[in-house]
Amino acid sequence: MMKAYFSDLVKGIEAKIEQAPSEATPRKIFALEVARLGERLYSGTTPVAWCGVTAPFDLLGAMGITSCFVEFVGGMLAATGMEGAFLEEAEQLGFGRDTCGYHRAVIGAAEKGLMPVPDFLVATSSPCTGGVATVENLARHFEKELFVLNVPQPDNPAGVAYLADQLRDLAAFVTAHTATPLAPDRLAQSIQLSNQACDLLDEAFQLAGHIPSPAQGNEMSNLGIVLALLFGTPAAVTVATAYRDAFRQRIAASAGNGGHERLRLMWIQNRIQFKQPITEWLADAHGAVIVCDELNNITWDAIDPQDPWAGMAERAIRLCINGTADHRTRLLQDMARRQKVHGAVNPCHWGCRQGTGARGLIADSMKQIGVPVLNLEVDCVDSRNFSEGQVKTRLEAFMEVLAAKPSPWQL
Amino acid sequence: MTTVPPLSKIGFTCAYTPLPLIRAAGFAPYRVLPLGDAPDQAGQWLHDNLCPHVKRILDRAIVDDLPALAGMVIVNSCDTMRRLADAWQRIRPDDRLFLMDLPTTAEERAVAYFTTEMERLAAALSDWGAAAFGDDDLLAGIRTYNEIASLFEQARNRLATRQIPMAGVRLQELYNQAATLPWNETLTNLQAFVDELAATPPSHDKVPIFLFGNVLPDPQAFQLLEESGAHIVSDDLCTGSRLFHPIDTQAAASPYHAIAAAMFTKPPCARTFDPQRPARLAENLLDRAQHYRAQGVIGYTLKFCDPYLARLPMIQQKLQQARMPLLLLEGDLSPGTMGQQRTRIEAFIEMLR
Repeated sequence: MMKAYFSDLVKGIEAKIEQAPSEATPRKIFALEVARLGERLYSGTTPVAWCGVTAPFDLLGAMGITSCFVEFVGGMLAATGMEGAFLEEAEQLGFGRDTCGYHRAVIGAAEKGLMPVPDFLVATSSPCTGGVATVENLARHFEKELFVLNVPQPDNPAGVAYLADQLRDLAAFVTAHTATPLAPDRLAQSIQLSNQACDLLDEAFQLAGHIPSPAQGNEMSNLGIVLALLFGTPAAVTVATAYRDAFRQRIAASAGNGGHERLRLMWIQNRIQFKQPITEWLADAHGAVIVCDELNNITWDAIDPQDPWAGMAERAIRLCINGTADHRTRLLQDMARRQKVHGAVNPCHWGCRQGTGARGLIADSMKQIGVPVLNLEVDCVDSRNFSEGQVKTRLEAFMEVLAAKPSPWQL
Repeated sequence: MTTVPPLSKIGFTCAYTPLPLIRAAGFAPYRVLPLGDAPDQAGQWLHDNLCPHVKRILDRAIVDDLPALAGMVIVNSCDTMRRLADAWQRIRPDDRLFLMDLPTTAEERAVAYFTTEMERLAAALSDWGAAAFGDDDLLAGIRTYNEIASLFEQARNRLATRQIPMAGVRLQELYNQAATLPWNETLTNLQAFVDELAATPPSHDKVPIFLFGNVLPDPQAFQLLEESGAHIVSDDLCTGSRLFHPIDTQAAASPYHAIAAAMFTKPPCARTFDPQRPARLAENLLDRAQHYRAQGVIGYTLKFCDPYLARLPMIQQKLQQARMPLLLLEGDLSPGTMGQQRTRIEAFIEMLR
């Protein structure tokens, strides 16, 4: 079923782009590459690894592994409106509704046979305790070998060395499964492509901060976190280039949000994955545009292609979803200043201790720089409890507050 | 007569804290237990969907329901503990706080990394005013810790075969004392308890139950279990048997390494697991329940505890396969909420008779 779904999706997007190349928006190109990844995952032609969010996808790709973090499945099911049955499946197995919807959905999908059987799994201790437990449960379900990457919280030499050593161990673990040793040249090439994609993405993210922003609607949604799945491939460079070029063109042509942009918003943590009209409604009714997402942020330096281990370790350690709340709030404050936002929306994904757990601390830090935060109570995957009216009412009040408040920045 | 001045206290919150190291540095480990009646305010800093263990500790910190602490050590054992460290620093910026990283798995690299984390903690303790200490001091700290662990093990072993009224309550009081009082007091009280157990004739009218979960420090909860007809033959709790477990110094490269290795070989919290055997937690719990000849198992977990919430289904399945009866209880550490579970506990015990 899923193989056919992704194949049809790929064919459909390819046909649209072929028919009207000028309408190949960056979002469409991004969707095409993600669909191609889905097609590979379900093709049965390459080894597959189900992973945690902070796994080194470029390293795995360089070793011929098609890999994906498990939360992608939860997000995909929600985006297609199919999550309900899978959440219920997990709940019937005993996974409580107080746990993360992404994880419940993927457990349900595995139980219902919707996920391809992996060759092995790679859990990552970051970003969350629930994520590593989910991958452990999947390893048990699929009866496949599990490798665990412990991502240190402190950003210090001992932590970097520890993770770098584990990454080398991971390469040996993969080799034991594929019987193909890691080719240093191939890894170097993969890292170069990752660096290139990150440079382009970083530029696109900065351009999105232009006033008015060239970013429209939901087109930046999930970009940073999902594109990491394609790091190390030309596809990531293609997508990042498309965003960068589109934003440049829109700025040059003054074709962004133009006079419609009255309020500039930051979206904290992950977007709501199921279909709902919030983003468009914010723009149409309030001239409020999401100009940046917390997860759209390159927080690490370029990695040395010839000796990438420490660089890959630093990348995982320095992500905004790893480490202390102070680390995270510093990144948020920097982003808010850079993108000159009037306010921020934190959906407070129910069941997320890692992200939502710091919501009071985040709101307090943003208040210190004059940026109000609206904390919503939403499950970003489980649409069963979503109340559009309630969310709109709270957002409406927040927009009134922002509109009445002078911008903290010189606009 | 000269009196020895009391040691300065170092606060901690998790059974993975290297207590002998704190003791060797000349401090008294003091566990900030989620007890007391501090008003519920932690949700404004964190989120209401965080585990009540952490929220109640933070509530205590907010209203300063704490003894004087020379510093605070929080182990990064789960997302919520990490968030506790974040909030603690924000609420009490003048406190000395050390966030100690802890891998989730137990391979040699993890032990080596945790050893470096302990060395980092040792440096912090020195900054916090510790007297100079070396390996001999650390070995002495381990010896005292092992004495306590050994006495607790003796107590548990005796309780496994002897039903003594309110023994579970008293054992939990001793666990709490051991976590909060100077160790010399603990040793005296614990030895007296073990001696008393040896001299008390056993009875056999209650149902032997193995208890597991995360945090259950309230002795009244154990009173309720006993009143309901349960005899707790052994436990696997963060506030129970997991806090003191023998440390073997013989094979280790250093005392630091010995403590680190012991952290990963003792019965684990659900947050620590073995990638080679993903269901090992469930297997261990079943093995221990069977070892103690329990007729049933009670699992008590706090709401919103991800490490346990994610593993409860596998535990349920494992115990069901072995035909070991299981009662799962969920709590939030509010005073009196355990009482709401009385009917379910009584029905479970009745079923096992």
